[in-house]
Amino acid sequence: MAEIHIIGQITGASGFPKASLFCKWILQLGGGWRVVEGLVEGQTQADQSEVSDTVSWCHPLDIHLATRGIQGWPRIMVQVYRQDDLSRIDLCGYGIIHIPTKAGHHTVTCHTWRPVGTFAEELRRAFLGGGPQLLSTEFIHSALERYRLLTVASGSVHFELGIILRNFEKYGVMC
Amino acid sequence: MSISSPSVFLLNVTGQIETGRFMGGDNLYFNYSFASGQDWEVILGLEECASQSARRSDDERQVFVWNFPIDITFKSTNPFGWPQIVICIYGKDFFENEVIMGYTACHIPITPGIHTRRLTTFVPESASTVQKLMSWLTGRRPEFVDPKLITQGRGREVTRVRSQGEITVTFNVMMKDFAKFGYDCGATGRTPYLAAPVKPPPSITVPREGQSDA
Repeated sequence: MAEIHIIGQITGASGFPKASLFCKWILQLGGGWRVVEGLVEGQTQADQSEVSDTVSWCHPLDIHLATRGIQGWPRIMVQVYRQDDLSRIDLCGYGIIHIPTKAGHHTVTCHTWRPVGTFAEELRRAFLGGGPQLLSTEFIHSALERYRLLTVASGSVHFELGIILRNFEKYGVMC
Repeated sequence: MSISSPSVFLLNVTGQIETGRFMGGDNLYFNYSFASGQDWEVILGLEECASQSARRSDDERQVFVWNFPIDITFKSTNPFGWPQIVICIYGKDFFENEVIMGYTACHIPITPGIHTRRLTTFVPESASTVQKLMSWLTGRRPEFVDPKLITQGRGREVTRVRSQGEITVTFNVMMKDFAKFGYDCGATGRTPYLAAPVKPPPSITVPREGQSDA
């Protein structure tokens, strides 16, 4: 069995409107993959920056996976929300990245997007919050259903990922 | 076989916690510690230590310089639980109370070599505005009971923080016997031990027509 260690951090985000932001992350795997050790989903702390629009989550990722095949390479899906003083939460963006396939240290930026409503809904969102949200996360990770959506760009989530591979060369896989 | 297979690999980290930039506060010092998984053990070096107090520089850089050396060696059998450094910075606020100025953590880099990391620090936030005012007046700011909480993924969703300041750390990472376990960490220019050069196949000559292959 070939193994992967994902050792790194969700460092933070930038480009979002200035607010207290947090992120829910979920690791998605194909059928042939198995989680040996580590958490595969979680939620970061809610952070608001003093000076800039960059928030710092400093959320550790340490996952040990084993696989029999390279199909279904792991991906991380993120959903960014903002939280106000009254603890109401509001969607800011969705995004997905593939775990890098090359061993070593990588800085990955995930550009996020959010669904756009009608003009009335966007106006309401600007004043009151609470715009359209996806009912199912399938629209984030599946390429087949994306054609139904109209989206607008949101900020970026930053990852620092260290990838350690084991036994891939033994099976003749070049990464 | 002449080469015995090793039972553990070693990770040696040296370096400095160099400088910090913070907007408020003065006379800053920090405590650092390392957090690692169950399969990891420190065999040499200081696992926790406290730094000197540093004053803000008078020039336009407005920087705090600690230049604090770190030197530690771990042994392990499993990359899971890779060590993280946790830094808690304390300082004096406007009223000369000693308050927490920032927490930060990061994994030791997984590739051998020289790495510089700029880490953003954050402080926990009070739950309400009244508590914020009271903590500012009395000098008792919210702190984490166990700073190693920030090295874990579990239980972070209930914390609200405010990020301020940054700290620069330089790591020099060396590993021993890591590749012999079959791990590839992307170290450039090095092939894993198990990928020994393949011997060229013996040349095969096909006998031409009319000749035997004797």
